Amino acid sequence: MPTIEVSISDFESLLKEKVDQEKLETLLEKVKGEVKDFFRESDSVKIELNDTNRPDLWSPEGVVRQILPATKPWSQAYPFFSDAKKANHQVDISKEVSSVRPYLAACISRGMTVTEPILEQLIQTQEKLADSFGRNRQMVSIGLYRLQKIKFPVKYQLVDPETTEFVPLGFETPMSLKKIMTEHPKGIEYANTLSGAERFPILMDAMGEILSFPPIINSRRLGEVEVGDSELFVEVTGTDLRMVTLALNIFAANLSDRGASIEPVALNYSEASDFGSVFQTPYNLSEPVDVALSELNQVLGESVDLEEAVSVLEKYGLIVKTEGEKITVNAAPYRDDLMHAIDLVEDFAISRGYNSFTPDMPATFTVGALSQIEQFSDAMRGAMVGFGFEEVVSNILGSSEDFIEKMALDSDKSHRPETAIIEIENPMTERFSLLRSWLLPSLLRVEGSSSKAFYPHYIFEVGEVARLAPDTGAKTETKVHLAALIAHPGANFSELHSILETVFGRLSTPYELEPIPHPSFIEGRSGKIMVENQEIGLIGEINPEVLDAWQIGMPTVAFEIDLEKL
Amino acid sequence: MIDESALSNLAEGLHPLEKQVLRLFSEKESIDPQALVEGSGLKPAQISSALQWLLAKEVISVSDETENQIVRLTDIGQKYAEAKNPPLRMAEEILARGEVPIRELQQRRDMEQEEKSRAIGALKTKGVVEVVPGGAFKISDEGKLLEFRALQKVIDGLSLNGNVSPLTDFSDQDQLIIDANHRKRSPSKGIFRVDAEVTRTYEKTNLFDPLFQKIASEKVIETLNELTPELLKEGSWRGKQFRKYNIQLPPSRLTGGALHPYKAFLDQVKQKFVSMGFSEMRGPLVENEFWDMDALFMPQFHPAREIHDVYFVKDYPHDETIDKTVIDRVADAHENGGESGSRGWRYPFDAERTRRLILRSQGTSVSARTLGEGAESPGKYFSIARCFRYDQVDATHAPDFFQVEGIVLGAEIHFRTLLGLLTLFAKEVALAEEIKFLPAYFPFTEPSVEMHVRHPKLGWMELGGAGLFRPEVTGPLGVDVPVIAWGLGLDRMAMIALGISDIRDLFSSDLGLIREKQHISSKINR
Repeated sequence: MPTIEVSISDFESLLKEKVDQEKLETLLEKVKGEVKDFFRESDSVKIELNDTNRPDLWSPEGVVRQILPATKPWSQAYPFFSDAKKANHQVDISKEVSSVRPYLAACISRGMTVTEPILEQLIQTQEKLADSFGRNRQMVSIGLYRLQKIKFPVKYQLVDPETTEFVPLGFETPMSLKKIMTEHPKGIEYANTLSGAERFPILMDAMGEILSFPPIINSRRLGEVEVGDSELFVEVTGTDLRMVTLALNIFAANLSDRGASIEPVALNYSEASDFGSVFQTPYNLSEPVDVALSELNQVLGESVDLEEAVSVLEKYGLIVKTEGEKITVNAAPYRDDLMHAIDLVEDFAISRGYNSFTPDMPATFTVGALSQIEQFSDAMRGAMVGFGFEEVVSNILGSSEDFIEKMALDSDKSHRPETAIIEIENPMTERFSLLRSWLLPSLLRVEGSSSKAFYPHYIFEVGEVARLAPDTGAKTETKVHLAALIAHPGANFSELHSILETVFGRLSTPYELEPIPHPSFIEGRSGKIMVENQEIGLIGEINPEVLDAWQIGMPTVAFEIDLEKL
Repeated sequence: MIDESALSNLAEGLHPLEKQVLRLFSEKESIDPQALVEGSGLKPAQISSALQWLLAKEVISVSDETENQIVRLTDIGQKYAEAKNPPLRMAEEILARGEVPIRELQQRRDMEQEEKSRAIGALKTKGVVEVVPGGAFKISDEGKLLEFRALQKVIDGLSLNGNVSPLTDFSDQDQLIIDANHRKRSPSKGIFRVDAEVTRTYEKTNLFDPLFQKIASEKVIETLNELTPELLKEGSWRGKQFRKYNIQLPPSRLTGGALHPYKAFLDQVKQKFVSMGFSEMRGPLVENEFWDMDALFMPQFHPAREIHDVYFVKDYPHDETIDKTVIDRVADAHENGGESGSRGWRYPFDAERTRRLILRSQGTSVSARTLGEGAESPGKYFSIARCFRYDQVDATHAPDFFQVEGIVLGAEIHFRTLLGLLTLFAKEVALAEEIKFLPAYFPFTEPSVEMHVRHPKLGWMELGGAGLFRPEVTGPLGVDVPVIAWGLGLDRMAMIALGISDIRDLFSSDLGLIREKQHISSKINR
């Protein structure tokens, strides 16, 4: 979720109103925004924008645009989205860029003089759109230039990275594109955006001067916008035409909100794109979305009339037409998030305010119940408490040291099911890189950390474990186990055996113990718990090697049962 | 002065041992426990207990207290009393045989490996022995052996004295030897142990004489120490008195069975939802991308699905059990909206990737499964699901954690019933009366709501998020009624209920800490 840092006074001048923190919090409900830090003294506020589908809101201009009730349709407020005005500038897009970074959109901004706060804001918006929306410039990146120095038409083409050179921002001398990729900080940071490409994209003006090397870096002479500039050339390049166009539309709307007059740029593609081969941007990519009044009312549980529906949606900045009870909406071309009628329903609810809806209770009766396994788990937990055991609850993730080495399972030769451990492909740390395949390591971890707690220790856990199950379609299985552990100076097999006997007595389930060697237990003092000739668990005295590994200084004995096999 | 009835009570409560001690000392002014042992037929521990009890009853008081250093032979020391200390033992053998090969010394069985190497080292550095050709020791200066003989003399003396003596009984020289070889100083395990022991003498308080007269004058009614099956069978307890206990003495400690406090909290949550008519649903810890994300209309290019946001299972196994026709419908919804009336995300859906196994990243996957398996309508469902998120583990992030989530479906479900249900949760689960609804964003719900409540202890807090599942979610899963999806964040409430500030302590492996949190309350607490 993007967080933007905004100058409070800049925000207030866009809003044409003073705000305090509380007022701002209320206003931001309309844009799913949250105030993070509000510092009047340093004239700064951080705003977190939660809607990842609305990049148009990731700037103070965008936030204010949505907060203020619309007073006129967007087609009048932002006339440059219609084709009426003919473009005076052109960019030629060569055929070969389609293999690397196929799309470009551009516009001209005049009449807005860049000030220090405006420049900061332009750079932030540029970064948010390129990094968050454009996936670290992979899909979208934006460049700003000083218009007067550029001779049109500009050409967007591929060049040889070794022989092409220019002076990039932040440097004094010409560098080849190849050198920029290995020595310029931006080249290093965004190297993967061009991985695999043999020839690199550049923008070059009619005099043959390079504007920029997208998506890496602008030229120092043409592409360094400064305070005082008032005529800008804006371009967006990327790999997805809709995204590229949307980012340009957002940028154009933002500049317009600050008083700029936006002029279109004609794009001359050598192959037809989804928008044609010759078209101009900003481009109206808005598509009408319909919602029936009845659907709106059904989803909201309201009885809104057509007039209210239209006025509430218009207030939210949408162009609304009706035909009978069918409502057709055109969103402004800086929005591309309306996929379904349901999205209009939410726009309506937000525009009218969530707290204008009266909560209502569903009237139908339903019967509640715990799952079978949860009821059984709870009964077993009650039984264990009755035997004097204290319950513990542990994390499921652990390390191979915990789950394999300390359990001596690396010496297992009989392919015990406990060794079917699920590993994480991309762990964040080695400490949490495996899922527990049984509960015993969790109980031993507790025992190893509790030598200072008054003895005797009678502990148990009921919880989920997961194992690889390569022979099944799902490839893994999740099971609910019960494990119990006793540790005190006289703890031994027969004490725990008595408890196991009583547990199975209460379950009215006959069981048998079948001796097995198991690396985690003392040989000759461990066995499989068998019910109807099927292994359902293990019991035994813990191997002193294992106790040592967990730094347990007491004789320890444990059993573990798969509750789903009972 | 103590009144008569209190005195009787006191007398009746005396343990037989206490009475014996009273009698033994009735003639004396000062009480020296040491002197009491002799001739009394009682063990020192019995005397000591009786004196403690009488002290607690204020029948006697402490008149003098001295601290003495007591020297004891450790187990090792006692071993050396029998077989001599290792350097001396070796030296004497060398003396007797003239020469002894070093190898042989190293292989002798009567000492630990560490004792042997230490002894050989000591004999060499002190200059007692020298190496002769062929790798054997012979004694070079028997005079240097004096140190080890002196040590042995102290050991033997102490052994003769029953292994215990006050430190003051030793000469200054011997005290230095003890100091060099006692447990704390000595690099080896130590021959001596020196403990500070307090010796007390007691005197009678003004309760003593009246109490003694009371017991001396009382009719000799036999008092019974304990009731036995035999006494009951024979009825011979009749006409006798039971010795009275001091029931105010602190008892010994006990552990007791108990549910884990966090699980007990979650049990209450479970109970709440069942009482509100919700059925529990469950799902696997290891999910696939389909149920965890794709079925929830999260596009495959969504940033929250990248390698640094979700845990993948090693080697990327694929789940083969997902119904192909359901995958196809979900794929259509992603690509072009399918039959949902949506325009879709407009990208090519990867039907292989959707089967990849991941660790469940959100409890909503359980809801998706429940819908896919045919949920009842009207129906209410909840789950408390363990989830895994790619986060740095710290005071606010556990490596895995419980999410409380669920769905409500039915023909009458709409935005206002969603708000109604959330209001119910706020009251029932968080005991909150004030509630605020804010617009929110989740990829799978529209409209989406965030619920903030005023908790009685925590103040305003975000309690959860909810919304109506998008048609692109319900349609492909064959659900034709509106569905509310909701999730609650209860960990902060649990932490307050348990009085902890680090989320990792919810899963603490310290039994001592867990025991501290085991409270029983007579009040309804959540």
